[in-house]
Amino acid sequence: MTTNLDEQSETVPPEASQPQGGATVSSRGGFLAKRGHLLESALLPVAWVLVIIGFGLHSPSTFLTWANFANIFGTNAVLFVLVMALLVPLTNGDLDMSVAENAGFVSMLIAWLNVTHHWGIIPAIIAGILFGTVFGAINGAIVTRFTVNPFIITLATGTVLLGCSQWITNEQTIAGVSPKLTEWTFGRHIFSIPIEFYFGFVIMLIMWYVLTFTPFGQRSLFVGQSREVARLSGFKVSSVRFRGFVIAGFIAAIAGVLNVGTQGSATPGSTSPLLLSCYAGAFLGLTTIQPGRFNALGAGVSVFFLATVSTGIELLGAQAYVEQIFNGAVLVIAVVFSQVIRTRRAASATT
Amino acid sequence: MSRTEPAASVTDGKPEVPALEASYLAKSFGASRALKGVDLTVGAGEVVALLGENGSGKSTLVKILAGYHEPEPGGELRMNGTEVPLPLPLGESRSVGLAFVYQDLGLANELQVVENLFVGHRVATGVRQAAKPIRWGAERDRAREIFRRYGVKLDPTVLVGRLRPTNQALLAIVRAAEELREYRDQQGQTGGVLVLDEPTVFLPQHEKVFLYELVRRVTAEGIGVLFVSHDMTAVREIANRAVVLRDGEKVGDVRLTEASDADLIQLVSGHRISRETIEAATNYKQEEAVELQGAEVLLSVRGLTGGRLNGVDLDVHAGEILGVAGLLGSGSEDLPYALFGDIAGSTGEVTIGDWTVDVSQVNPRAAREHGAALVPGDRKQQGVVAELPVATNMLSLSLSNFMQGGFLRHGKLRAAASERAQTYDVRPRNVTLNMASLSGGNQQKVVLARWLEQAPKILLLHEPTQGVDVATRHEIYELMRERARQGVAILWVTTDFDELATVAHRIVLCSSGVIEGTIVPPFSRDRITSEVYAAAAKSGQREVSKAS
Repeated sequence: MTTNLDEQSETVPPEASQPQGGATVSSRGGFLAKRGHLLESALLPVAWVLVIIGFGLHSPSTFLTWANFANIFGTNAVLFVLVMALLVPLTNGDLDMSVAENAGFVSMLIAWLNVTHHWGIIPAIIAGILFGTVFGAINGAIVTRFTVNPFIITLATGTVLLGCSQWITNEQTIAGVSPKLTEWTFGRHIFSIPIEFYFGFVIMLIMWYVLTFTPFGQRSLFVGQSREVARLSGFKVSSVRFRGFVIAGFIAAIAGVLNVGTQGSATPGSTSPLLLSCYAGAFLGLTTIQPGRFNALGAGVSVFFLATVSTGIELLGAQAYVEQIFNGAVLVIAVVFSQVIRTRRAASATT
Repeated sequence: MSRTEPAASVTDGKPEVPALEASYLAKSFGASRALKGVDLTVGAGEVVALLGENGSGKSTLVKILAGYHEPEPGGELRMNGTEVPLPLPLGESRSVGLAFVYQDLGLANELQVVENLFVGHRVATGVRQAAKPIRWGAERDRAREIFRRYGVKLDPTVLVGRLRPTNQALLAIVRAAEELREYRDQQGQTGGVLVLDEPTVFLPQHEKVFLYELVRRVTAEGIGVLFVSHDMTAVREIANRAVVLRDGEKVGDVRLTEASDADLIQLVSGHRISRETIEAATNYKQEEAVELQGAEVLLSVRGLTGGRLNGVDLDVHAGEILGVAGLLGSGSEDLPYALFGDIAGSTGEVTIGDWTVDVSQVNPRAAREHGAALVPGDRKQQGVVAELPVATNMLSLSLSNFMQGGFLRHGKLRAAASERAQTYDVRPRNVTLNMASLSGGNQQKVVLARWLEQAPKILLLHEPTQGVDVATRHEIYELMRERARQGVAILWVTTDFDELATVAHRIVLCSSGVIEGTIVPPFSRDRITSEVYAAAAKSGQREVSKAS
């Protein structure tokens, strides 16, 4: 029973409740949010600024330096790209838990081919990206062909990959990857920020465009909202979901390339801890820019908001374990917060 | 009454090619023939109502048109005179000039109006099509222009979930009509048929006029409408002709100007319900209503506040059916639940039978023990457990009667349930079937049977015939009148004012959470509607003066 509607709703005389005569809110909200939601959309960016001011007041000489921010942007580039991998599956209503392991395996594969088997770095990268994409396709095929729960399937396939990367390397770190790759990810800088950040930025803009301004993005939205509505609208639900996993695999592979470039070496399991961080970013992104939707800009802002806070906490002298606690807690808060927004919206007056 | 009429589509006296012409549509599921070779014609600009009980073949017919079911060989379909091969591939109906609006509307609630309106444009395949930029500014302008054309005021940027149900239905219909328009533009065709499958079920009575208005605008463009509905008022309002199905056969094709409600109900029910019952189910007399005021008060409320209620006083006497009429949001829909102790934070004094107490002390269990029963409006959520058998659903409140030596005797339970199925005419009679396999009307009978099994002295009903076909509806009315005659006090809350006019002894008008007045027979839908609006205006004025 819906008793939570506001009292004002319909006790007005009939003519005021007519669709013909009723005043409706009109807005020029653009791609962002409606005027009423503007505050909500801006909440996280504002919080980000406040956090910067807060840490800045505490330690202006270390925190409030361009070098510090360049560091925050540079060292989180892999996470920045990885969170973009989640967006299409999430919009489709699917959880892909294998992206972090996929990126990790692609890193291992490139290092192994390049160092152990003396492949050129370009062919190794191509092989890595190809592998990541095919792996995404396998996830998608299993999930859509057998209509099984993607959460558990991708958790399992990701674990298989982790095992494989330990197997091919005997659980050793492979060092000595071509410096050319490091040069083109971490070595070159623009405004003293490593170039890989800009790769992530471009991917974010593409994701934003695809999800917001293309029929492809619209199909994903409808599929994620309701499989039944999407099917009745004439969409091929299975292939939309399948493509989501393929895209996730492809972008995760790019994150893997950046990862091996950043480190100059590859260690099994080095990307595993990123899984929770990128989910925290995606779900926190749900609350900002385009609230209520998994959106690229929101996810991007969230990743760097979280990174800024962790860096600030580190500068305050906290132990490394604090970051784990922080990431876990943020995920809980982000999910609860986005649900609260949703409930509150559902309860607000209907028009 | 003419049993069948030649299937000619004549509008304004000049013959035209029908927008839809189907012949010998048949379908079997296993051994049972759901549809036994039905012919159907819908003229351009004509509204044809498709009537029939649940299980009469209506939905099978609609599903054949939508491409869900493959009809048996011999079935033919001509759209606008052009032969269309059956079965239609699923999702292809659009391209032959058929558009559908189902009861659940097919809208994504968390997406914007404009996104839902143009969802059909996103189907195009191929990478280049899929990546083609969408200019949202232009899309919103187009949406506004479309809404203007159909006389519908909707904001394209609002989330669909925030629209009231009536506006959601209008959006779904506009979307379907627009698809047909595009089909006509692209193919250089005329005609096109819009199939409306029970779109009015969950809408408040007084807002359905907007729907009628929209359907008239759609038909004015030469689009035919097939209107599947149990809602006789809506059918009378917009349809020109009614096609009646029973047991998979067409048993009537009548002009609505030539058939009375009783005629139609008899056709629908297959003369299962006698003419006397239907005709008896008209208004009570004023004297009867007055006479009942002398009887014992079984349910009494003073100053009830909680939910949208804001100080309600009322009395229901033994043997009386008290109707509660109000607009959606007036508080009337909270009344049964507040009385049953299901709305937290309610205050006020209630008397249930011989138990007088503050309403905060009432909970569903205590209310039951004192002889009250609640039949909730949301059958799916609150009324039935779809995946359990009919027998269990029917007797879930009386399970203790079937316990022996610490074991539930399933045999006895089933036997008792079968007997009740007979009494209440639940179809099919097989009580081991899952609840989900019953039609809406029959599910509602099971829900009623469950509560009547408790022999309640007070019945609280909320929209007891929502989504129930006309014939079953009359059976439910008769069942309730029967109980009233036995001395049960019944509180009947509905926005279906036709229903209230038919069943109530007395009607209270609820507005802004208070009772604004009481009316006595003779009732009619129009009288109740105008009284309800007058009451709403009165309480609206009072609030304005209070505020200033």
